[in-house]
Amino acid sequence: MRFLSIALAVARKDVRCELRGRELLPALAQFIVLALVIANFAFDVDLVQGPRLSPGILWLVLVFAGLVAFGRAFAAEKDSGSLEAMLLTPAGATAVFAGKAAAAAAMLVACEAVLLPAMAIFLGSPISPLVVGTVLLATIGMAALGSLFAALAAQTRARELLLPVLALPIWVPFVVVGGRAVQLAMAGQSPSTLPLAGQPLLVLADFDILFLVVACLAARFVLDD
Amino acid sequence: MTENRSLYALTAGATAAMLVAAWSIFVYAPQDALEGPVQRIFYLHVGSALAAFGCFALVLAGGIAYLWRDSLRGDRLARASALVGLVFTTNTFVMGMIWAKPIWNWDPSQTWDARLTSTAALWVIYAGYLLVRRFATPGRAAMRLAAVVGIVGFVDVPIVYFSVEWWRTLHPGPVLVTAGGPQLPPEMLLAVMVTTLAVGFLAAVMVAIRYRIEARRDELEERAVAAQLEPSRTSAS
Repeated sequence: MRFLSIALAVARKDVRCELRGRELLPALAQFIVLALVIANFAFDVDLVQGPRLSPGILWLVLVFAGLVAFGRAFAAEKDSGSLEAMLLTPAGATAVFAGKAAAAAAMLVACEAVLLPAMAIFLGSPISPLVVGTVLLATIGMAALGSLFAALAAQTRARELLLPVLALPIWVPFVVVGGRAVQLAMAGQSPSTLPLAGQPLLVLADFDILFLVVACLAARFVLDD
Repeated sequence: MTENRSLYALTAGATAAMLVAAWSIFVYAPQDALEGPVQRIFYLHVGSALAAFGCFALVLAGGIAYLWRDSLRGDRLARASALVGLVFTTNTFVMGMIWAKPIWNWDPSQTWDARLTSTAALWVIYAGYLLVRRFATPGRAAMRLAAVVGIVGFVDVPIVYFSVEWWRTLHPGPVLVTAGGPQLPPEMLLAVMVTTLAVGFLAAVMVAIRYRIEARRDELEERAVAAQLEPSRTSAS
């Protein structure tokens, strides 16, 4: 209970900071729209190609938006020295980390709320509830790992350089399975017709659980100065 | 120095072992009926892949030892094995490419198979491990952060493997460990075992040499700190 209330308090603080400052979200929304415009020119998207290329474009934009969102979450704390202050309180490092990760996940969900409608408008992507569910499911694990490595990279020099190098290869399982799931969902195929190992939603849920546990176990060592 | 002498002896032993492996690859093992002489890459390809995995397992063990017991030796071992593991992964890649060129008519866009992709992820993760070491504040912080990367990376690689395997794969299935026993002619099996042992020994010797270098480097740093402290102590007395 104590763990949860600390994590909730940290997450609420981060969300409130963002709502009052309105720094990251408008910039990220703009970034997402710009990325879609670039994808439109780069792939020469038309009505036939748009839906076919959508899963790939979705993951490209989501991964890079995630890098920015998670990187900022810890870099801002590090710059103002407030991360050390939070860790000096009796609140456990893992609870602080969980709160930061939850807030970063909420930030990514807000990005997705911009990305998915924008994709439907610009690229004609078929966005079904199944697509939304898949993306949300992948967000959990990506946020856990992304926040872990953002916390790690924030403590080094050249953190903007280090975060993509660390996070991108670790995210590969989510991109592979999530990409497959979004492909199937956009093609209108129901996942229940597939064999068990091919059920991407179940596999994604497993990855979420595994990486949540790993990130929470490792967070103590990353934040413990 | 006796420690250096034993490293020289080990190096000579590794060289001899690699010569025996070369003999077993090129003379002892029979020619593959389908693939011809190119198939002889198989022995070193498998051997260095296993050696690389062994090195990364040492990185994991060293990281755990550091985080759990604050073991500086564990960290030094992890430091040494990460570099050697990266060298052997590169080796595996290069030999795999040479092998794949005539057999798969190699084309990277067609061959995103499970083992290739997970090995690429492995390479990038441990290259990132060495980058963390370089960019973190030297000392305890670098050891702690690198240990976390080494552990999480080791967990991630099999998952990358399975997630791609369920997608699509091209790599030949396991031939050594199958339900019905090894599916290789006995001569080939012996050659692959000899080569794997020789490459494993070579990797172990390289880790030992690297460990020695890291130990001397740590010693040098300790002496530098001691030298900084020394004048003040003498002037005080």
